[in-house]
Amino acid sequence: MNAAAGRPVAVHQFIATLNPHDATGAHTLLLRDALRAAGWRSEIFAEAIHDDLASLAYKHWMYPEHATEGDVAVYQFTTSSAVAGYLAERGVPLVLDFHNFTAPGSFEGWEPASVERATKAAEELALLAPRAVLGLAKSRFSEEELRRAGCRRTAVLPVLADYGRVTAAPDTRVAAELDRLGAEGGADILFVGRIVPSKAQHELVKALWAYRRLYDPLARLHLVGGTASFEYLKALEDFVADLGLAEAVRLPGEVSDAALAAHYAAADVFLSLSEHEGFGVPLVEAMAAGVPVIARGAGAVAETAAGAALILAAGDPSYVAAALQRVCTDDALRAALTAVGTARATELASGLAASRTVEAIAEVVGR
Amino acid sequence: MEDSELTMPEDPQAYVDQVMAEIAEEVRLRRSSGDLPPKLERELDELFLAHSPVAGRGGDLGDALRMVDAATFIDPVVPVESEKAAGAFVKKGMRSMMLWYVGWVTHQMSQSASAVSRALHIVDQRLLELERQVEVQRVPGAGIVEFPELDGADAWWVEPAVAAVAKAPGRVLHAACGDGWLVRRIVAAGGDAYGIDPRAHLVQAVELGTLDLREEGLAEHLRAVAAAGLGAVVLSGVVEGMASGERAQLLSAIETRLAPGGTLVVHSVSRDSWESADAPPEADLAPGRPLRPEAWCRLLEQSGYEAVAQVGRGGADYVVTAVRDTITAPYAPRQR
Repeated sequence: MNAAAGRPVAVHQFIATLNPHDATGAHTLLLRDALRAAGWRSEIFAEAIHDDLASLAYKHWMYPEHATEGDVAVYQFTTSSAVAGYLAERGVPLVLDFHNFTAPGSFEGWEPASVERATKAAEELALLAPRAVLGLAKSRFSEEELRRAGCRRTAVLPVLADYGRVTAAPDTRVAAELDRLGAEGGADILFVGRIVPSKAQHELVKALWAYRRLYDPLARLHLVGGTASFEYLKALEDFVADLGLAEAVRLPGEVSDAALAAHYAAADVFLSLSEHEGFGVPLVEAMAAGVPVIARGAGAVAETAAGAALILAAGDPSYVAAALQRVCTDDALRAALTAVGTARATELASGLAASRTVEAIAEVVGR
Repeated sequence: MEDSELTMPEDPQAYVDQVMAEIAEEVRLRRSSGDLPPKLERELDELFLAHSPVAGRGGDLGDALRMVDAATFIDPVVPVESEKAAGAFVKKGMRSMMLWYVGWVTHQMSQSASAVSRALHIVDQRLLELERQVEVQRVPGAGIVEFPELDGADAWWVEPAVAAVAKAPGRVLHAACGDGWLVRRIVAAGGDAYGIDPRAHLVQAVELGTLDLREEGLAEHLRAVAAAGLGAVVLSGVVEGMASGERAQLLSAIETRLAPGGTLVVHSVSRDSWESADAPPEADLAPGRPLRPEAWCRLLEQSGYEAVAQVGRGGADYVVTAVRDTITAPYAPRQR
């Protein structure tokens, strides 16, 4: 569809799983609001819907009840899903909103089911990319993948996120517990993300071990996030125990927004050694919360940070430990990182990103 | 830790850049002082690997099957220990009442698991047979082929190689490092380098001190390196005898392990040197033959490198220096 064909009545979104606790779920809800504000009808259709959002979305197979002539579909591509085949069959003009996915190789040796799922996701990307009238990538890194998959027209626009959730009122019980730990001395190092091999939490544990040995024997590491890889979680827990770090590494699992705010408020530094990031929302959350960020420059991390974090070329424990020590003890550096981080988070959090996304869609489907 | 009176530098971005250089220097000094010996970092890697599943450790099917066999038996007699006084008594009573039902279910599950295990053992047998047949037609991997007069600290190509990796965005790996002659040169020039070599007698004979040399093969080592974990890779005595498939696998592995903006240096002898009468016998035994420098440049440019070749005096050998593409800045970069 193009501008000459007229303005579509509805721009609906499709997604594999609509979850209130992940970046894609939040992005989808914010984009729906922006699409509606632009005057379109816009609903969300998903293969699976979290109970908390049951009133905000429909199952994808209910789409025909809402379909009208000239509809446009925006597919939030995160993983393999029945939605991909469903959209390919229906032939609705398609905008591919690509959030990237972890390559199958990252799960090899850990989760055979995840390897298969990631392989299918790659096949589905190859199926949909050539059919899409527009591919929206969250980073130049992801845009290259979209183009390789056959997407002819692409644009790079950031993830829409409510970074205010990390500066809202923190959970008082969690905050009190973190304060108690903080009073014992030592730095509090934070990472937020699913516990899976590609996020490399084991590298964070190695870095903590080196940091405690070389600089700060009381330092703690908080690994916030649920897991989709129980094999990896078990290996991580056993590794932590073997290193004698059971007291120093906390694994609170998936937490509420208020508890997440408490973790950001208590953190001295946010550290990411992920092997793959399509964007990295938690990096920006940390910046919004005024926490200095250190990250390995894998995937789109350097792009997302855009100079507002210490980007490490290597994840060697001694190298990371030296960076942690510098950030935790150099007031001028903390002030610099916090200032540029806050500015970067403000830049990404502004309504500008939402309006630019809507404009990009309008340009190809008709205003 | 508290953020008290924070002093804001005049140009925050410039200060961050300066700090990155100081951190790299701090690491170099720590490493050279032996505060955190490379051996300890390697032991950390090995410790984590020991907890990963058998497949993740590169273990064979036999190991996995032993784990399956061990897990096949499901014990229907649940433990009854309890921290509360009456807990154990209550649990024991419940166990007695439900044992018949639990036993029946676990029996079915054990039988099912045994059937799967038996099938897997048959698959294992057939795979072993297949491997034996494939072995006959196997193309052997290339070994290290060194031409003593063209390698070593005094070789002409060492100077350009050291210069090429001087600003690498991460650690520098020298494959087939021998006694560490090139690693020493790079470290002396201020770089952060380490070496690997599968020839145990060479590595073990070196007084390591703060030198980071490891007794390891290149393919095996690259599998364990994280994506974008290396700033530069120097290959010498490694690629000449490789068959095309092995060479493609090596380049693919290096491509993912090299950080954006990283450098690959390839030193190779010419075909004339390879076929000369005084070439080492390993040259005859290798499955492949050296490429010409033009072929290396083409190959690397196709993989997204910018490559330049330099040929040594008399054309006996050459070195190719290739820099990997960087990813440019994203949407709305801040102007400094």
